[in-house]
Amino acid sequence: MSDVMMNLSYFGMSFLDPYLMFLTAAGVFFGIYVGAIPGLSVTMAVSILISFTFKWGVNEALALIAGIYYGGVYGGSRSAILINVPGAPAAIASALDGYPLAKMGEAGQAIGLTTIMGVVGGLIGVVCLAVGAPMLSDLALMFAPRDYMMLAIWGLLLVGSLSGGMMAKGVFAGALGILFGMVGLDPLTAEPRFTFGSVHLTAGAPYVAAMIGLFGVSEVLVQLHELHFATVKQNVSKLFPSWSLIRKHLPLASRCSVLGVVVGALPGAGGDIAALMAYDHAKRTVKNPERPFGEGAWEGVVAPEAAAVGSVGGCYIPMLTLGIPGDAVTAVIIGALYIHGLKPGPMMLLETPHLFWFTVGNLALACIWLAVFGFMGIKLFAKIVEIPKSALLPMIVVLSAVGSYAIENNPVHIYWMLGFGVVGYFLKMYGYQVGPVILGIILGPLLDSNYRRAMISVSNDPAEFVAEFFTSPVSLVLLALLSLTILSQTRYWGRLIGCFRRNGAGTAS
Amino acid sequence: MIARKLLGAVALGLITTVASAAYPERDITGTIMWGAGGAMDVVSRAVQPHAEAVLGKKIVMVNKPGGTGAISTNFVNNAPADGYNILFGAENPQLHKVLGLAEFDYDKFFPVTIFARSVGVVVVKADAPWKTMTELVEDAKKRPSKIKMAMTGPGGLPHTVASMLGAVTKLNTVSVPFDGEGPAVTAVMGGHADFAPVGVGAATESIKAGRVRALAVVNTEPVDSLPNVPPITKEYPDFGKFLPWGPFYGVFVRKDTPDDIKAALVKAFKTATDNPQFKQLMADRGNIMMNISGAEAEAFMTKWQSVTSWLLHDVGAAKISPEKFGIPKP
Repeated sequence: MSDVMMNLSYFGMSFLDPYLMFLTAAGVFFGIYVGAIPGLSVTMAVSILISFTFKWGVNEALALIAGIYYGGVYGGSRSAILINVPGAPAAIASALDGYPLAKMGEAGQAIGLTTIMGVVGGLIGVVCLAVGAPMLSDLALMFAPRDYMMLAIWGLLLVGSLSGGMMAKGVFAGALGILFGMVGLDPLTAEPRFTFGSVHLTAGAPYVAAMIGLFGVSEVLVQLHELHFATVKQNVSKLFPSWSLIRKHLPLASRCSVLGVVVGALPGAGGDIAALMAYDHAKRTVKNPERPFGEGAWEGVVAPEAAAVGSVGGCYIPMLTLGIPGDAVTAVIIGALYIHGLKPGPMMLLETPHLFWFTVGNLALACIWLAVFGFMGIKLFAKIVEIPKSALLPMIVVLSAVGSYAIENNPVHIYWMLGFGVVGYFLKMYGYQVGPVILGIILGPLLDSNYRRAMISVSNDPAEFVAEFFTSPVSLVLLALLSLTILSQTRYWGRLIGCFRRNGAGTAS
Repeated sequence: MIARKLLGAVALGLITTVASAAYPERDITGTIMWGAGGAMDVVSRAVQPHAEAVLGKKIVMVNKPGGTGAISTNFVNNAPADGYNILFGAENPQLHKVLGLAEFDYDKFFPVTIFARSVGVVVVKADAPWKTMTELVEDAKKRPSKIKMAMTGPGGLPHTVASMLGAVTKLNTVSVPFDGEGPAVTAVMGGHADFAPVGVGAATESIKAGRVRALAVVNTEPVDSLPNVPPITKEYPDFGKFLPWGPFYGVFVRKDTPDDIKAALVKAFKTATDNPQFKQLMADRGNIMMNISGAEAEAFMTKWQSVTSWLLHDVGAAKISPEKFGIPKP
């Protein structure tokens, strides 16, 4: 009983201490703006904070970091919705339907809805962390290279959802992305691939620069064709979405949050992959959206946002239980813990159990602040879209260049970004979607290294490689899901369902 | 005309002096050679604030794993030699030439400091059948190409220790490259690899928690952080000819960085490395403090390169003979 009381007191610590409360709030507030500016990443913000908070107590540092983390992951969708430039990789999927919404004058309500669903996702993530951390971390450990491989393939199936109805063009764009992802030194053997002897290509295609170029700059170039069109007046009278709209999408948001938590808990996958998979999930499960996906479906912003913010709770799981980062941000937080004299690892929960409950409470608090700050400044933000194009478009290009440079203070990334912008422009002009390209860049390397890792593990024996899939429950479940997903897209699926129906009817009568 | 040129030169000189006198006038990018969670990552992030305290500017840390360190080394070597891109690197580039990974090693870099060196440890999953190194080796000999070893690509600590193991015990395993020592330990925990030779730092906490078990430390005597783990020479005295051996951690800048910037960095990191909090952390993680820089560090690195290159060459792991690069036999 006293244990519960102790845990509860640590949980409530940041709610009761005004200073911790303030730090969390400040973190969320700044995080939203860091997240909304492409190129400025949460990882960067948190690593700067580590040295900044070096002399502070560990609780204060963690409170601020938790706030920034939530704010940043959430904030990425703002610029995705408003100007089609995802502020962070986790917001790529939010741009797909968010930007069309802004084009229809619904930017305000889209941001309002993402705020609500982000908070829902975040809170579900925190609950999963509090209740299932040890279990989920054990699950994450069970993921073998072949499982990461299947995850990557599953993600790549998303090409079907992102190809805008033209499958062949989608597959081409996805393959192009995978090709871009192969550039650089081989992650396993360090052999140069497609580098053509240039040292600048050895570091590979920076995918944040690719994201900014393919989404932002290419859109700017396309819009130059419609420069004379009037800007869309944004409807900002009603920011808080109606209760019925929230209730309608709550089940989807909940499912996607859990998906986000699980993907976030995997050491090799983070919010970006979670959000893309959530988008795919929404597209497959929501049969009759009000508007088609890709043209401003509410589900298309709800699902990725809930998954992205939900993944934060998931990313904390391997970090707190095993000392293994769930993504780039938690990797930096681990550094912070070391510097504050803690030893992240499996012993941390045993030696300093209060830290776990303090973090859980703190993350919950950050979600609550997200609800507050998420609704602040929407009107102002939405006005961005109303800026005349002749002024807005150059601003987006400048912002894109600054953002690309800021990734690693490397001017080469600006060339990458511009190159991707031009490639994206021509793709769009010829009816190809850019979504599959970015998908290929993110998932290609994951597929490449994990397929080869899995193959090396079985001494390159194809028979054993296949057999391995039937040796672990994780592989079996993933294999089943993967097969069902593929099967459901073939014409045999209808027959199979029909067959089941008939049998079912037979037994009933 | 001449006067104008002179004036220009003087002005340029002034600007350069002013610029470097104020070093650092903006934040420094610290590129970490290995992935988050690995030993290099932790050491770098632990020393960073102490160095910042002396430098008066932030060091923004970026992990650039991959290519056994070739990616990060390349990156910093391609960045301007202005002291704003520093490399938190391990020993790996010293092997890039013989492994055919890159055409340069640390010869293009100036060692700002070498903090410490670590020792390797061989870990297995907590419930693995092998209780000693001998049992693992004998089993691997009995079942060739059945036991999986998690590695980090040619030239890393796991690879080098594996080369030593191969040379001494002639065992036959499958080597699976992972993205870093952290992921390698994770793979052992999850049962996706049977054992991993990693740095003590990457495994200490997981060993203490009983998630993985240490069979031997690759040293001639036990290390302070794992007093109960036997040294490998106890079972395989032949290891003695390679030891003491261990990866080292340091900070590097391009060799053509201006001298006053080098001096500023050396001063900052010397002080930072001496910080008791940092020394405690390093000791906790089984490292042996060194804190050397400049010529002393270069001598150490050259000797390390000679020992390791020829070792790799002798086990057939080197693509190009060390002789070709004029690396002397130890």
